[in-house]
Amino acid sequence: MRKTFLFGVAAALLCTVSTHAADLKFKPGEEQRFNWKSYEDFKAGHDLKGQTLTVFGPWRGEDETLFQSIAAYFEDATGAKLEYSSSENYEQQIVIDTQAGSPPNIAILPQPGLIADLASKGLLTPLGDETKKFVQDNYAAGDSWVQLGEYKGKDGQEQFFAFPYKADVKSLVWYSPENFEDAGYEIPQTMEELKALTEKIVADGGTPWCIGLGSGGATGWPASDWVEDLMLRTAPPETYDKWVTDEIPFNDPAVVNAIDEFGWFAKNPKFVAGGTAAVVTTDFRESPDGLFSLPPKCYMHHQAQFISSFFPKGTELGVDADFFYFPPYAGKDLGKPVLGAGTLAMITKDSPAAKAFIDFLKTPIAHELWMAQSGFLTPYKAANPDAYANDTLKKQGKILLEATTFRFDGSDLMPGKIGAGAFWTAMVDFVGGKSAEDAAKEVQSSWDAIK
Amino acid sequence: MIGSSARRTPLTFVVHLSVLLLVVLWTLPTAGLLISSLRDKDQIAVSGWWTALAPSHQNAVYRAPPPDAQVEENGRHVIRGNVFDGGNGTVSAFGPSVQTPDEFKAGETATLSNGVAMTVAENGDFTISSTEPMKGRRGERIFYTSSVPPQFTLDNYREVLSAQGLGRSFINSLTVAIPSTVIPILIAAFAAYALAWMKFPGRAILIALVVGLLVVPLQMSLIPLLRLYNDIGAQFGVTPKGYVGIWLAHTGFGLPLAIYLLRNYIAGLPKEIIESARVDGASDFDIFVKIVLPLSFPALASFAIFQFLWTWNDLLVALVFLGSRDDQLVLTGRLVNLLGSRGGNWEILTASAFITIIVPLIVFFSLQRFLVRGLLAGSVKGG
Amino acid sequence: MQQLLFALFTMIVGVAACAAYFIVSNWILDRIFPSKSRSGAVASRNLRITNMIRPWLFLAPALLALTVYLLYPVIESAWLSFHGKDGRQFVGLGNYRWMINDGEFRQSILNNFLWLLIVPAAATFFGLIVAALTDRIWWGNIAKSLIFMPMAISFVGASVIWKFVYDYRAEGTEQIGILNAIVTWFGGAPEAWITLPFWNNIFLMVILIWIQTGFAMVILSAALRGIPEETIEAAVIDGASGLQIFFKIMIPQIWGTIAVVWTTITILVLKVFDIVLAMTNGQWNTQVLANLMFNWMFRGGGDFGRGATIAMIIMMLVIPIMIWNIRNAAKEMEGR
Repeated sequence: MRKTFLFGVAAALLCTVSTHAADLKFKPGEEQRFNWKSYEDFKAGHDLKGQTLTVFGPWRGEDETLFQSIAAYFEDATGAKLEYSSSENYEQQIVIDTQAGSPPNIAILPQPGLIADLASKGLLTPLGDETKKFVQDNYAAGDSWVQLGEYKGKDGQEQFFAFPYKADVKSLVWYSPENFEDAGYEIPQTMEELKALTEKIVADGGTPWCIGLGSGGATGWPASDWVEDLMLRTAPPETYDKWVTDEIPFNDPAVVNAIDEFGWFAKNPKFVAGGTAAVVTTDFRESPDGLFSLPPKCYMHHQAQFISSFFPKGTELGVDADFFYFPPYAGKDLGKPVLGAGTLAMITKDSPAAKAFIDFLKTPIAHELWMAQSGFLTPYKAANPDAYANDTLKKQGKILLEATTFRFDGSDLMPGKIGAGAFWTAMVDFVGGKSAEDAAKEVQSSWDAIK
Repeated sequence: MIGSSARRTPLTFVVHLSVLLLVVLWTLPTAGLLISSLRDKDQIAVSGWWTALAPSHQNAVYRAPPPDAQVEENGRHVIRGNVFDGGNGTVSAFGPSVQTPDEFKAGETATLSNGVAMTVAENGDFTISSTEPMKGRRGERIFYTSSVPPQFTLDNYREVLSAQGLGRSFINSLTVAIPSTVIPILIAAFAAYALAWMKFPGRAILIALVVGLLVVPLQMSLIPLLRLYNDIGAQFGVTPKGYVGIWLAHTGFGLPLAIYLLRNYIAGLPKEIIESARVDGASDFDIFVKIVLPLSFPALASFAIFQFLWTWNDLLVALVFLGSRDDQLVLTGRLVNLLGSRGGNWEILTASAFITIIVPLIVFFSLQRFLVRGLLAGSVKGG
Repeated sequence: MQQLLFALFTMIVGVAACAAYFIVSNWILDRIFPSKSRSGAVASRNLRITNMIRPWLFLAPALLALTVYLLYPVIESAWLSFHGKDGRQFVGLGNYRWMINDGEFRQSILNNFLWLLIVPAAATFFGLIVAALTDRIWWGNIAKSLIFMPMAISFVGASVIWKFVYDYRAEGTEQIGILNAIVTWFGGAPEAWITLPFWNNIFLMVILIWIQTGFAMVILSAALRGIPEETIEAAVIDGASGLQIFFKIMIPQIWGTIAVVWTTITILVLKVFDIVLAMTNGQWNTQVLANLMFNWMFRGGGDFGRGATIAMIIMMLVIPIMIWNIRNAAKEMEGR
């Protein structure tokens, strides 16, 4: 009886299943903004009929649909079948799958720390010097990106393993243009102006910032972005590189100074909505809501581009919400540094189709097709900026292309135990009252422990 | 029958009251989830779920039509409309600027810095008027405080239920969960009987081993097992990921608890029944199938409930041993994927939690009748 | 539809294959050593042989599954715990030495003891109360189902539920966590519950108690219903009150089951990590062993040796419970 009922339900649900059709979103040859020539060239050079390519990536939900739409072009051009999968615990699953000997052909991951781990265990196939040179020549701030793809293999030799595809810009400050207009605030061009604006808002009786570090098990990570962004604005990029590789200790004065800079914003109860206690417990996904509440709980919010998908329903980017570049100090000559993140593709099980996929990522069209949809930025200079779906993306893409220095999210570069653990915890402690010096010392001692 | 005696004592009142208290305490969090799942996405994170039941006061903003929409009436340029766009609500206060969203009471007239006059009535009708033609491309923002009647929506459920491939995942989940429940029970029942009533050397050690294996953390065994699966798969040229593999995995992980619980129950069965059957010349197999198995129904049913729950709600084992490809995903995996890469959509979480709970509850209700009193007592009388 | 048929087919085959093993193997055994129709010495010899073999027939599938799925990984972990990060380099007791000096480990083991002390006791206690009380009221089954609900909610759901309980908003703004809403309603100041030192551990435990009470309730209620009616009837005739029946008759009768429930939850507590992972990930001093192990193995640690070492400690903590169970089993056997 029960079973018949269950199967009744199951059968009913089954009817709602529709087959997944690999439609091409933009018809090849149409629309000038796309580089269809690169597509045709790729198509001519690759015939993989009958082959299957398995790809494992971090994208789920909407992002997965977007990637599938790009994958359709790969399938169309090569005749191969692309099977994409992901999982909530993708970090864990890729470790299990590669260790147990059943990896996908291609893994796409956003954590250099994890990639370094896989590379050192000999689980990745090097992409070769040609690909390395390609990234160096064709990506804006190419050296920064090459550095990101190079890891030590099992033999201790540094090789190019990971191809950067899809970038995120983190150095953004979100605000509501109309709230600024109503209050008569100008967009700050320098860090000095930003600090002055912060104080002015308080003087006007408002609260300047919304900061939320809450993220369940990953609580604290938004603070690491703040510190890294400020680090790039108070110290030269070389110091940043030394910091993330522990060549200088975590409690080096330069780092402690950056943490204190963050404290200037976050530890002043007048500067943050809800006071410092709210900073630690407010969920990062909810914290931008303060920009749009009535009256506004805050005027500014520092977060990467993705946060716009958590804005209240109906928020129109460019009208209701906009962003400006987190400005550098005028008094320090450090250029225009940009903090970012991104995903990197690597070969975990070599096959002709896997190689072809990396080649596919080198075509401008593979970037433009996603740019024309949403949530995709690329430092690839050959990709046409006009392909961006809207002005917001275009503006972010411009920040990426104009960057004099690009640095990857440091917490992703550090060993997982530090970058996705001790660093976050220390930032939570720091906001909770610990001094920057003590918090940094704590992280360094954890770092010493894993050596 | 205890009931009949208790009903006469003053204790009954206390019993009802304390059960009620416990039930309320235990259900309150879940009730919050249920109500949240019926609320609007933006409301979930803004106000407490308990406030959803009463009319709420909220601050909101309405953007009036742009100046293109103005019409000339008696020498004034006017834009009219309703802040609720025809919906229900009562405006108590309004204001033209974000700093002072409740400066004016409903019905009053606010004069803006540029000489424009703005009025909002209680029912939401507004009038913006000016002697000069209004310019600009954006409409004025009207901030208002309103009281809104409770609003519920099925949108969250609709969104979850319309997910691509949900039906297939549902069937995958059933295909995983049913055998993963039945097989370990069958195996464990035999083992439990052997450990409870049969004499053989090494029995105490085996019991200790079962207890010891209860504690093995699942995550520990995933890599060695998957490696084993891959080796076997390569040896026989079959795919290492499939239903048989996951059934056996769930069986292995569920066995210690099954044996432990069932052994305890079976060992507690009255000695006389089993011994008299032995005297009658019944073999252990007969005793087990004909006497012990029927008598153990309550224990079997209760373990079945739990094992089903675990396999149904499991995500990790399914991802590792079945895979995460579109056609392999189980229900939990499908729903988690709905959350998107940053996993913050509570409205989906809340709705999917109630969709996944339905099947385990059906199992619970249908097996609950096996947990009846008197099964044992009756057979003792009969035997 | 095809998938449905396939699912049905594989299910039936899988379950039938398993049942067939038991039936066929026992049938063969009885065929080879028949004891019924033979007489005298042969029959008793055959009976002895079958009695020797049959337990192993009954146990074989279970033992096989236990060995492959649990024992083999345990041995592998033990081996790994003496090896370095990548599982190749032998480091002797290095991992264990590291562990003893690691502050986070000491914090975890302390917290784990706290969990062990509170959660099994509380869950068993509430489970027993509910099982006993719901037996006496007409809406008992409804009450039971409601208390059982938390067990059936998937873990992602549960973590959202408790967010709506413990959530913190700054004073003066509207609270969406019910605990803070109650506190502010009584005029108190809202607290960030999951960051409160020490007490945050208790708040996490409440979640597990909330879930596990349903488990204790179902098992104990099955045991309570297994008490022969005659026993209770006799007590009622003797004029015992409800409370007396409960403490003097019911509790001693199901004492064994209470111990089993307690043990099971204790062991579950040793393995608990998803609650901690989802709520705090061990921050604010709430780390527990299982989550620590998980962090070292998968979440950026990438160190299988240390992960395995922590797993070994978790397994060692269960030894007292094993000994206690061996003793119990031995006592039980004496009478047979």
